Amino acid sequence: MKIKDIMLRNTTSVLPDCHLEEVIEVMAVQRINGIPVVDDEQRVVGFISHHDIIKSLLPNYLGIINSNSFITEFIQLSKKLKEYANHKVDEFMKRNIITINEEDNEVMAADLLIRHKIHHLPVVRNGYLVGVVTMRDLLKAMIEKEEDQNNEQEETQ
Amino acid sequence: MITTVTLNPALDITLELDRFIPDKYLAVEKVSRIPGGKGINISKAIKAYGLDTMALGFLGGHAGHFIAEQLREYGITTNFWHIEEETRTNIIIVEHQNRTHTLMSDPGPKITKKDLERFKSIFSRVMSQSKIVALSGSLPTDVPDDIYYQLIDLARQKKVGTILDASGIPFEKGLEAKPLLAKPDLRASNNRVLNKSVDSQETAIKVAHEIVNRGIQIAVISYQDTKDVIATSEQVWLAESGDQKVVNIIGTSEAMIAGFAIKLVEEENPDMKGVIQFAMACGLASALTEEEEFTTKDDIIQCLPCIKVTRLK
Repeated sequence: MKIKDIMLRNTTSVLPDCHLEEVIEVMAVQRINGIPVVDDEQRVVGFISHHDIIKSLLPNYLGIINSNSFITEFIQLSKKLKEYANHKVDEFMKRNIITINEEDNEVMAADLLIRHKIHHLPVVRNGYLVGVVTMRDLLKAMIEKEEDQNNEQEETQ
Repeated sequence: MITTVTLNPALDITLELDRFIPDKYLAVEKVSRIPGGKGINISKAIKAYGLDTMALGFLGGHAGHFIAEQLREYGITTNFWHIEEETRTNIIIVEHQNRTHTLMSDPGPKITKKDLERFKSIFSRVMSQSKIVALSGSLPTDVPDDIYYQLIDLARQKKVGTILDASGIPFEKGLEAKPLLAKPDLRASNNRVLNKSVDSQETAIKVAHEIVNRGIQIAVISYQDTKDVIATSEQVWLAESGDQKVVNIIGTSEAMIAGFAIKLVEEENPDMKGVIQFAMACGLASALTEEEEFTTKDDIIQCLPCIKVTRLK
């Protein structure tokens, strides 16, 4: 299976100078947890997720989320978010990110996602963003492939 | 890649029933929910042919998410700016007994200045991946009527060819930016364009000449369902698809635009007669296919011999 056949063909992205407030809004409206950051020609230059934002604002927060002190820290996080609302994505995004070519296959995508402990892989063609692939897309494609193979076997029997 | 812009998309919900009786509880026989809008229809025709396409515009709310997801299911790349208000819904009631089609269209969402700026930023960015961009359809409220002019200008800066398929003032202002191909949507403007009524081959030729004289390379005037006049600065052509068993008129004109876009992308020095024949065959193939289905490359090839293209000048 080629990545271009299983990727999510959504190239919603933000520029590095987009404000934090806006990127949070875009992710909420698009119902996504992370978004590629591109230059003004749609070449991938970074990636930003909810996780990256929280980690940058309160580095310890994700570690104490299951403890009793998470409420006081939550107030602190809320204050920080307001304080940094107009800061640029550039400050928070991950750089030198891993991408995958649309002509590569699902095994390579799974390997990259697992080996680099990441949830999203921006898909590129000649460096330009053409989609995103996640483990969910891979699992969906694999189960569909399995179903198709079973149907083919039944038909030939 | 061919990019399409739909600034005012809609979710078309078609309810089919035997007879529509007001003030009664009626069981609907068939329901279909289809993403609509001229640009979206162009993207659907391009993807069905087998080329990559990206759809841009504004979407909002549940209807917006449904449209984006459907388009991605079709294999179309989406990069819409999501707005606060809900994308409009068209309700189409098809009554079998009386053979009526009733369309109820909601006014559509409000677009803010910020939405417009964000959309223009997306448009400008994706031009680096585009060879042709088709700008089609009506505008939502609060979008300035020179928006197509602005977008054609942005595309030109990135050396991307443009196709304008619209009506009224947005079309006429768009012409000032000199798109590569322009086709007035005569259905949406009561057959009027550039202060002229287009009701014959002669008036179609006149209008086509006027468009070309404004610096546009190709003018396409669909003055009848089966007849089009196509003009360039040196040539005038008449294209006819003849009497065919049409089953669907939705998306026909957009399929024709898709045909022009495909040929202009695929061939560096396209032969005009071949381009016209192919574009008309795309339109005819769409007219012979039910709305929920997709025309294939084979359908288009089969329609090619049905198209008669005559050079008038």
